[in-house]
Amino acid sequence: MRKNVLATLLAASMAAGVLAGCGGASSSGTDTAAPAADAAATEAAGTETGASGSGASLAFAWWGNQTRTDRTNAALQLYTEKNGVSFDAQPSDWDSYWSKLQTSAAGHALPPIIQMDYSYLKQYANAGSLVDLTPYVEDGTLDTSNISQSILDSGSVDGKLYAVCAGVNSPALLYNKTLTDQAGVTIKDNMTIEEFEELCRTMLEKTGTKADLPYGAADNFLPYMMRAQGVTELFNAEEKKMNVDDPSQFEPYFQVYKDGADQGWIIGADIHAGLTSNSVEESPLVYYSSADTQAWCAFFWTNQMEAMVAAAPEGEEIGITTWPSPDPAKSDFLKPGQFFSVSADAGENEKEAVKVINFLTNDVDANNILLGERGIPASSTVAEAIAPNTSETIQTVTDFVNNVVTPNSSTISPAIPTGANEAYDACNTILDKVLYGQIDAAEASKELFEQGNEIMSRQ
Amino acid sequence: MRAKRTAGTIIYHILVLAFGLIMIYPLVWMIMSSFKETDTIFMTAANLIPTHFTLQNYLTGWKGFAGVSFARFFRNSLFISVVATIGTVISSSIVGYSFARLKFKLRPVLFAAMLVTMMLPAQVLMIPQYLWYQRLGWVNTYLPLIVPYWFAIQGFFVYLMTNFVEGIPRDLDEAAKIDGCSYYTIYTRIILPLTVPAIITASIFSFMWRWDDFLAALLYVNKTEMYPVSLALKLFCDPSSSSDYGAMFAMATLSILPALIIFFTLQRYLVEGISTSGLKG
Amino acid sequence: MENKKGKTFKEWLNQEHVAGYICALPFIIGFLAFMVVPMCISLYYSFCDYDILNPPVFTGLKNFQRMFTDTRWLTALRVTFYFAFVSTPLRLIFAMIVALLLFRSTKMTGVYRAMYYLPSMIGGSVAVAILWKRMFAVDGTVNILLDKVGIRGLAWLGLPSTAIWTLIILAVWQFGSSMLIFLSSLKQIPARLYEAASIDGSNKWQQFWKITLPLMTPTIFFNLVMQLINGFLAFTQCYIITQGKPLDSTLFYTVYMYQQSFEFSSTGYGAAMAWIMLAIVALITWILFATKKFWVYDGGL
Repeated sequence: MRKNVLATLLAASMAAGVLAGCGGASSSGTDTAAPAADAAATEAAGTETGASGSGASLAFAWWGNQTRTDRTNAALQLYTEKNGVSFDAQPSDWDSYWSKLQTSAAGHALPPIIQMDYSYLKQYANAGSLVDLTPYVEDGTLDTSNISQSILDSGSVDGKLYAVCAGVNSPALLYNKTLTDQAGVTIKDNMTIEEFEELCRTMLEKTGTKADLPYGAADNFLPYMMRAQGVTELFNAEEKKMNVDDPSQFEPYFQVYKDGADQGWIIGADIHAGLTSNSVEESPLVYYSSADTQAWCAFFWTNQMEAMVAAAPEGEEIGITTWPSPDPAKSDFLKPGQFFSVSADAGENEKEAVKVINFLTNDVDANNILLGERGIPASSTVAEAIAPNTSETIQTVTDFVNNVVTPNSSTISPAIPTGANEAYDACNTILDKVLYGQIDAAEASKELFEQGNEIMSRQ
Repeated sequence: MRAKRTAGTIIYHILVLAFGLIMIYPLVWMIMSSFKETDTIFMTAANLIPTHFTLQNYLTGWKGFAGVSFARFFRNSLFISVVATIGTVISSSIVGYSFARLKFKLRPVLFAAMLVTMMLPAQVLMIPQYLWYQRLGWVNTYLPLIVPYWFAIQGFFVYLMTNFVEGIPRDLDEAAKIDGCSYYTIYTRIILPLTVPAIITASIFSFMWRWDDFLAALLYVNKTEMYPVSLALKLFCDPSSSSDYGAMFAMATLSILPALIIFFTLQRYLVEGISTSGLKG
Repeated sequence: MENKKGKTFKEWLNQEHVAGYICALPFIIGFLAFMVVPMCISLYYSFCDYDILNPPVFTGLKNFQRMFTDTRWLTALRVTFYFAFVSTPLRLIFAMIVALLLFRSTKMTGVYRAMYYLPSMIGGSVAVAILWKRMFAVDGTVNILLDKVGIRGLAWLGLPSTAIWTLIILAVWQFGSSMLIFLSSLKQIPARLYEAASIDGSNKWQQFWKITLPLMTPTIFFNLVMQLINGFLAFTQCYIITQGKPLDSTLFYTVYMYQQSFEFSSTGYGAAMAWIMLAIVALITWILFATKKFWVYDGGL
């Protein structure tokens, strides 16, 4: 055994073209590794062509978990059966997805169909990486007649449609209904910040559990709070600044955290450090070892409720309500959880890619496979058609979005420009300082005001 | 005297074993977690032994993604890792010999270049490298994951081999030269056999690093069927939707096996006294 | 096939410098074909305003000037120096001790080695990130164990003073590669030296200082250089576990560079940061090489 391995190793190195024989058999002294490398190359190429099969296939990239991957793939197979177009599925996790997409964008080799996020939409659209879908809507390739105007508009940048909503979402405060029932409190929708803080104090007193406010996610909660003051667009790319005249406008945002930290009803940065940020399974709402590390509520999105229900320990019922805000009607909004876009690198596949998006948006059979995993289908007819087949949780969510959020919300803020991500990151660090008690809300606001404007001025 | 030695041996074994257990505790935790029901992993994180022992995670995990099972991912990883490793070891060994033993004008320059290639953070080369491989028409193939390794692209291994060749007494070369060996046969007859420990070490590392590497695969592989294990593992965890930690731990456990097997088979060459190491003569 | 000097091709081939170039050829080709162009492109980016999606625009030294006013850059640099200079020696000392312990051949050697090497095998996967957080969380394993012996634990990952140490411990925990290199180097030391020393009556301890350690210096030097470079370029630990938190106390240089390049649309600035890092690492490596002649054993046995 031992000898065999060694022999193989040595034989392999000999085979690479090393010379043999003492005292003169050194006949041909060419590059030693090249032939072997060539062999490897051909072999690899062979594997590659072998895998792709016959005919061109359409690349489709998305981020998401196993469920999303399996369902999307099944829906695409349905399309293949109907239209004979095959796909190269490129699933990744969120972080990898954007590294890969940006690298491909640099090489102008984006996959024809890409799943797009609201936070990147403007950058990609402005850089000309996405196809304007308006002509396809006009010629009927893409049917958007059943999508509400405001949802459709959220995929537009400067009046051109670059992305089609893959599922409607809204902010959702998920809570442990079993626990709140035990404590004898009722959760009402559209809470104000005062009501929310009062509730947090009650829950801490009665159950010892805390509230899990958005952590490391300033991009969610900061604009939500700012919208209550009428700041619908925080970042002003044209004037290279933030649309905030006075630092004190940020204070309500930081004050909630400050109150929570001072009064002890917030899940602190120290607990978050041991968790995967914003992951459902590791949310203190469903994962805790004692009341100290348990949250009775957590800030998420409606399409994450199903996963949360699945992750909850037995006997823990999950409830849903709106995020608190000084003015819920101004803050709350409907948001496309993800979009589908066609990349500018699609070339001759452009039209086919649009057809696929149309299929995923409007085909009832396809959506009976997808079952609202990305959010409530944007097309109202599709949403209605699949409703009976969806899970109980999805039906609760649909009901929540249609009857609680829709009547009491405002239009989504415009997509964020370059620089916003860096400013949000700065905000996360400033928020840490508040949570660690190093600075108060006023100082934090001043820091954010200065840093945010400095970042925007650089763009 | 004998009693003293036995006592010493026992203490040695107890110490090494106890500390070893601390070393692998986190891994044991992971392996045990892979046998827990996936929604109980975090709630029962403090208990090492699963209350309900289940193989479900292995079944769900093995199914893979989009109809491509882990069997395929393992095959892909094996192919990439083995071919790239053979290339790395062969090319680095030869280049190491030249850097350690042969004098030529550009040697210092090349040696410095080799060191410098290791000093630039890999992340910053992601895009330029992609653009270059795209120009070569290699995107969407395994070529970027394999071919460069046949050209001693990893300075670490070149330097490792250089270092080991330098450790071999020069009088052996001289003797061989007098016997009529050429510079090339000195390599095959003297250097290669004497650097076997280094070659084995390099093989273990290279295999493991190629196996773990997901970045290159992420950038250059565009089909689920071509994904290696390292990339597929990441698909279990997507905080933006939801994650299946049970399946991830199960497949992560399996994915250590090939490297572990290789390690077990090859590590015997790194024990004192087995080979006569040729230096005595 | 004869050239001017009347040598045969075979003779020509067997000249030392010719053999040198031929044997170095794989590297020369690899370097020219796969490294030079990407490195040049990245160097060019460092002088550009570039955000990946739009074409680069040349801006001269702007990116380099920005570094001197960027306090986060300075923080990241400080964290990285600390990490590299603390974790490297610890890792090497640890690897050396374990290698010496596991060099002797017993029936259990293979198992022991596997135990100590296993942590290095799982590399930087998602599994490691979760493992490590579970170990050092407020209610994690370390605190549970401390609690059992009556010590009140800390929020290891949550405190700016201890968070970096969890990453250092991770780096030390994965000492396997250095250990293996030490093992293969120990194997190279000829047994006759020890035999001769035993005859001279020196004990194991003296043998270690007189034979093992001096003969190991080239390998120690190699590991030192490699691990120091790795320490400065460390990325994964921070990226998957702390992302620089809390309060940037664990922000690795390369992670900040990655953020700038891929998340903050300042790819040009990220490239500039990388080249400054290259200069720093090159300088440190050069200093190490300059000290080599004072303590590293060279020459035959």
